[in-house]
Amino acid sequence: MLRRRHTVVTIAIHLRDETTTIPLRNRLGHNQEETTFMKKLTLAAAALCFALGGTVARAQDAGALLDLLVKKRLISDQEAEEVRSELVKESATTSAGKWKMSTPITELELYGDVRLRYEYRGGRLPGNNQGDFGQDHLNDWYERHRERYRLRVGLRGTLADDWFFGLRLETSASSRSTNVTFGGEPSGGPFAKGDDGVFVGQAYFGYTGFPDFKFTGGRMPQPLITTSMLWDDDINPEGLAQQWKHTFTFDLGGGGGEAVQSYGKEGYSKEGKAVVAQAGEPFKLKLDVFVNTAQYVYDDQNPENPIGPSPVVGSGNGSQTGQKIPSTDAFMLAWQAGARLTFPNNVYVQLAPTLYNYTGNGDSFNIHYVGDPNTNQIGINSLLVFDLPAEIGWKLWDLPMRVFGEFADNIEGHDRAQAAGHPDHTGQHYAWMLGGAVGQLKAKHDWEIRAWYQYAGQFALDPNLVDSDIFDSRVNEKGIAVKAGYMVADAISLNLTWAYSWRINGSLGTGGIGDIPINPLDQYQIFQADMSVKF
Amino acid sequence: MKIKYLALSLGLLMAGIATTQADRLVIKGSDTLGAKLVPQLAEQFKAQHPGTTFDIAAEGSTTGIAAIIDGTAEIGMSSRRAKTSEVGAAAAKGKHMKPTIVAFDGIGVIVNAANPIKGLTKKQVEQIFTGDVTDWSAVGGSGGKISVYTRNTSSGTYSEFKELAMKKRDYASGSQKMAGNEQIAAEVGKNPNGVGYVGMAYLKASGTKAMPVDGAVPTVKGVQSHSYPYWRPTFYYTNGDPSGVAKEFVDFTVGPGGQKIVAQVGFVPIK
Repeated sequence: MLRRRHTVVTIAIHLRDETTTIPLRNRLGHNQEETTFMKKLTLAAAALCFALGGTVARAQDAGALLDLLVKKRLISDQEAEEVRSELVKESATTSAGKWKMSTPITELELYGDVRLRYEYRGGRLPGNNQGDFGQDHLNDWYERHRERYRLRVGLRGTLADDWFFGLRLETSASSRSTNVTFGGEPSGGPFAKGDDGVFVGQAYFGYTGFPDFKFTGGRMPQPLITTSMLWDDDINPEGLAQQWKHTFTFDLGGGGGEAVQSYGKEGYSKEGKAVVAQAGEPFKLKLDVFVNTAQYVYDDQNPENPIGPSPVVGSGNGSQTGQKIPSTDAFMLAWQAGARLTFPNNVYVQLAPTLYNYTGNGDSFNIHYVGDPNTNQIGINSLLVFDLPAEIGWKLWDLPMRVFGEFADNIEGHDRAQAAGHPDHTGQHYAWMLGGAVGQLKAKHDWEIRAWYQYAGQFALDPNLVDSDIFDSRVNEKGIAVKAGYMVADAISLNLTWAYSWRINGSLGTGGIGDIPINPLDQYQIFQADMSVKF
Repeated sequence: MKIKYLALSLGLLMAGIATTQADRLVIKGSDTLGAKLVPQLAEQFKAQHPGTTFDIAAEGSTTGIAAIIDGTAEIGMSSRRAKTSEVGAAAAKGKHMKPTIVAFDGIGVIVNAANPIKGLTKKQVEQIFTGDVTDWSAVGGSGGKISVYTRNTSSGTYSEFKELAMKKRDYASGSQKMAGNEQIAAEVGKNPNGVGYVGMAYLKASGTKAMPVDGAVPTVKGVQSHSYPYWRPTFYYTNGDPSGVAKEFVDFTVGPGGQKIVAQVGFVPIK
């Protein structure tokens, strides 16, 4: 900063040396001493502006200011080049000035978070053999205590011509978790790095050149409005997504007109004189209408056309054993259309009805789902899920509050139950949740408490997608969950989570693959204490 | 006696070598400056300073700046400003890139003299050189696939035109890269569908005509007042303040005698 001022002052001194003691009149009729004084004053102002900005910004912004000074003939082109050269040299020798970004990038954001977690997770076997699963160790608990961490680091930005991109690296190879367990290395001694790998969590790009539209392709953050009942929020789906959103604003009047003389308590000034109340604010409604569609590649069939005969279902899969396995990729298609209506005073209502359908088979999830112990837990047959997440929010005493709920129905749940060998339990195709929240977590000293009840029938949902913490990635579970959070600082948060669930239908297993390796999971409990830093 | 004679001869020889080295000026860089202007300046300077020799290589502004950084030239000619990375590289080697403006220039867009088109907008210029537009009919011409001629990547004119006229977008993938202004002018003069850009000193090349851009062609007044959109300063870069014969040549270039030559060659004097 001092060196730069020195540069500018040097130029000014050079100008001063050119003046004579006898004031001369230049062509414009101004005193040359006055002109030199104005030049020095302007240069000093320019130096102060440069001193107040960042080094790289100064080098970049100097061009316009120097051009203006040249245009106003306060400095010469040569003087401007010398100042510019000094600034560029300063910029080049700072660490910020050594950054180089490719030309198409118009904006770039580095972001991420690190989280430390303590977790208790436990599950209890049934107390009886209902369902005839041949269970041993009735009523026994399986429990885990873990200390864990996670790291997520990402870059996202905008490119020229309305394109955007993003990438994020995450710990853990799991689709529904980014957590790594301290001391969990399978080999290599204590503190080895065997399970501390970093994986590509997100890699996507998209286009926003059409008004109201956004197109995304790749491995992306979830573009749909969902909850943890259907989707674990660690999942980054792969494929294509199209989003459309338009905002309508309705001015319903109710304001303007003449101001009203108020004689109430609020209508008097400090001196006791009556004051005129403000004219009423216009009543405005904001309606956000949105449509989100997605085509996710759920499972790649490799190869679609093998040499020789097509593969068949292996032994141990009941009536499906020996059946020819179809050879097409599996896709999950999502169709969502909804709206959010915002009233004055932060009151809003949002509905986002969605239909999920699956096509093709793939080669990993193409065996029929059963959900009982020692049977298939991951099949995606007969899933046509209608989902309706809803939310109402308002503010009371400046405190955000909301009630949220969700209803989901697998329209093909009957078929799914029959294919699982449970024709007597075709009614298990519903899932729903209802809860409320107070507060928000945005800035230092903010807090939030959320609690909800959740019910997920055995044949209602895709068990490969449901939340892996709440109810341990299982269906045929119902229970409650409570979360409380506090912002210690703008970037630091503390969160506590507790959930408890129990099996809905005692004749069925608890489908899905979780961290508790028992089925049926008759009772389940989880407690998590998290501390996160966000950057 | 013989020893004294040998010592005297050796001393005269060393003095001769020293004198020769002091009067040899190596200048590298811009083709815009080095093809015509600087050789003519050098000739006039030599007439006033007998015994001075010049070694001029005009292979692009990037080579001139690099020559100052690696110390292989006393003066680096450039038709663009040194990049931050180049200034940083110079600083890392203890060099200071000092710019001296020696002339102004206006980059003019030229087309074949037979092309019926009367003028282009700035947007059209961007579209042509980035490849958004590939046929003359799209910009009011009579039709024909546009042949774009540009300088090569070591050229300062290449970089400046990209910044001034193309919003830093990339050149069209089919553009043909030429070594200098004269080569561009020659190709455009032969190709009825050709378009390129050259410095002011080359606007009157045979077979070509300058295109008004938003109604303006580069003129002395337009460039000096900076109102022409594609104006630019051209530079001598030296390692700090020049000294010796380099300083004398720089002073000559920016002085009245040198600026007269600047105007004669077709550039715009700095005053």
